[in-house]
Amino acid sequence: MHGTPTPTLMPLGDSALLVRFSDTLSDEANRAAIALSRVLDADPPDGIAEIAPGLVSVLLRTVPGADLARLRGEVMLRMGEVDGAVAPANHTIEVSFDGEDLGEVSHMLNVTPDEFIASHNEIPVRVLATGFAPGFVYCGFHDRHMVVPRREHVRPIVVAGTVLFAAGQTAIAATPIRTGWHVIGRTRFQNFDAASDPPTILQPGDVVQFAAVQ
Amino acid sequence: MTSLTIVRCGPLTTLQDAGRFGMLRHGISASGPMDRRAYDQAGVLLARTGETAIEYTQGLEIETDGTLEIAWTEARTLLAGERLVIPPAAANYGYLRFSHELDVPALLGSRSTNVTVGLGGYKGRALKAGDRLTLGPPGTALSGGASPHKDGPIRVLWGMHADLFDGAVRRRFAEAPFQVTTSLDRMGVKLADLLGVFAGLHHLSLVSDAIVPGDIQILGDHSPIVLMRDHQPTGGYPRIATVVSADLDRFAQLRPGAEVRFQPVTLEHAR
Repeated sequence: MHGTPTPTLMPLGDSALLVRFSDTLSDEANRAAIALSRVLDADPPDGIAEIAPGLVSVLLRTVPGADLARLRGEVMLRMGEVDGAVAPANHTIEVSFDGEDLGEVSHMLNVTPDEFIASHNEIPVRVLATGFAPGFVYCGFHDRHMVVPRREHVRPIVVAGTVLFAAGQTAIAATPIRTGWHVIGRTRFQNFDAASDPPTILQPGDVVQFAAVQ
Repeated sequence: MTSLTIVRCGPLTTLQDAGRFGMLRHGISASGPMDRRAYDQAGVLLARTGETAIEYTQGLEIETDGTLEIAWTEARTLLAGERLVIPPAAANYGYLRFSHELDVPALLGSRSTNVTVGLGGYKGRALKAGDRLTLGPPGTALSGGASPHKDGPIRVLWGMHADLFDGAVRRRFAEAPFQVTTSLDRMGVKLADLLGVFAGLHHLSLVSDAIVPGDIQILGDHSPIVLMRDHQPTGGYPRIATVVSADLDRFAQLRPGAEVRFQPVTLEHAR
C-alpha cells in the first residue's frame, strides 16, 4: 500500500511479537495495523498462534519454539501484500445522548449539547480497535476540533452500552467497566455476547454511523 | 454422574483449564492456571485427566457422592461420602484435578474462569462453599513431568517501553529488591518499590497497546504491578519489562511479603 509506514517489530516477552506502526495514535498507523492483520489472517505464517490487531500495532502470539527471526522476515514480506482495498462493513448505531458528562464536554468545546451531538454524528467513523475489555471498541477519528482530554478521575463502574468520548474518539463499553472517559450517552447496541462465536460484532476497520435516538 | 460439593475454599478459588486462547482480538485475555507447572504436575499424577481443575487458594475441602479419582500434590481415590481436606500451603495457588472433565459449559472454547469479566468456569464466578460440580466425560492420558522450579531472581525481558526509562532507572530496577504486596489477584500482583526506583518517574502519555502475561507496568502512583493471567488485553501504562514464561509460574506463587528481584536476560536465554 502506498505510504504504509514502516513498522517496528519487537518481542513482547518470549511468546509474542509486536508489529508496531507508530508509538503515537494516528489514522495512518491504525489503518496499516488493520490492513496487515487482515493479510496475516487470510494466510497465517507458520509459528503464529494468534493475531490481534490493536490501535497502532498487531500482536502476534507465537507457538512454543517458533523461529522469531524467520517470522520477522515473513511479516516484512507480507507487508508488500497489504493493499487496503477491502470493502468495510457499515453499521448504524443509535445513541441516547443523555450522558452525565455531555454538558461538560460541550462546554469544553464551546458548543451547546445539541451542536455537540450534531458534530459528533456528522461524519461516519471507523472502528479503530477492540481492546481494554471484551467488545470494547474505540471509534474515530472525529474532527480536529472535537478533541477533549480524559477525565481526571476514573468513574466507578459504568454499564454495558455506555457511550464514551475522549481524545477525538467515541468508545462503547460492552461490559461493565471503570472508565476515565466522558459519559455522553447510552446505546442498546451490545457488541459482546459470550454465547456467540465470534463474540463481537464490530471488527476493526468497520464503518460506524452514530445517530441520535429519535 | 458423580458430583462433588465444595465444603470450604479460599477466596479466588476458580475453575481453570489450559486457557481461552484466540480471543485477544475480541478483548478477552486467555486466563488459565496462575501456575501452569503445578497444574500440569497434578495432571500427570492421574492415569487420565480432565482439562478443568479447581485452582484453590488457602487449602480446600470437598466431599463427594461417588468415587472420585483426584490429584493435587498427590493422587488419591475418594469414595462416596468421604471428605478431602487439603490444608493451606506456603503457596498462593494449588490445583485439584480429576479423572474426568467437569460438567460446566465451555465458553468460547474454554472452561476457564475470567473473574474480572465474569466469564466462563462456574457461572462466571469464584467458587464458594456449597457449590456443586458434576463430572462429565473421562479425560485423557497426560505424559511428561514438569521440570522443577528454579530458585533465584525472576528473569525478565526488557519491555516495549523500556527505552522510555532512564538508563539509571533500568539499572536500579535490575538491582533493587521489590516486595510482593497483599494487593494480588488473578489480574495482577502489585509490588512495593522498596528503594523508590520509580519514585521520580514523569507521567507518560502512551497509546494503549497489547499486554502479555508477565508484563511489569508502572502505574500513575509509581507502583509496579506484574500483570497476570486475567490481565486487561491492552493498556496505556508504561511497561519496563516482561517476566519470562518459565518464571511466571514461580512468581505467581510468591506470598505477600516475599522479596523479589528481577534479572534481565536475552530472548535466547528466556526460551
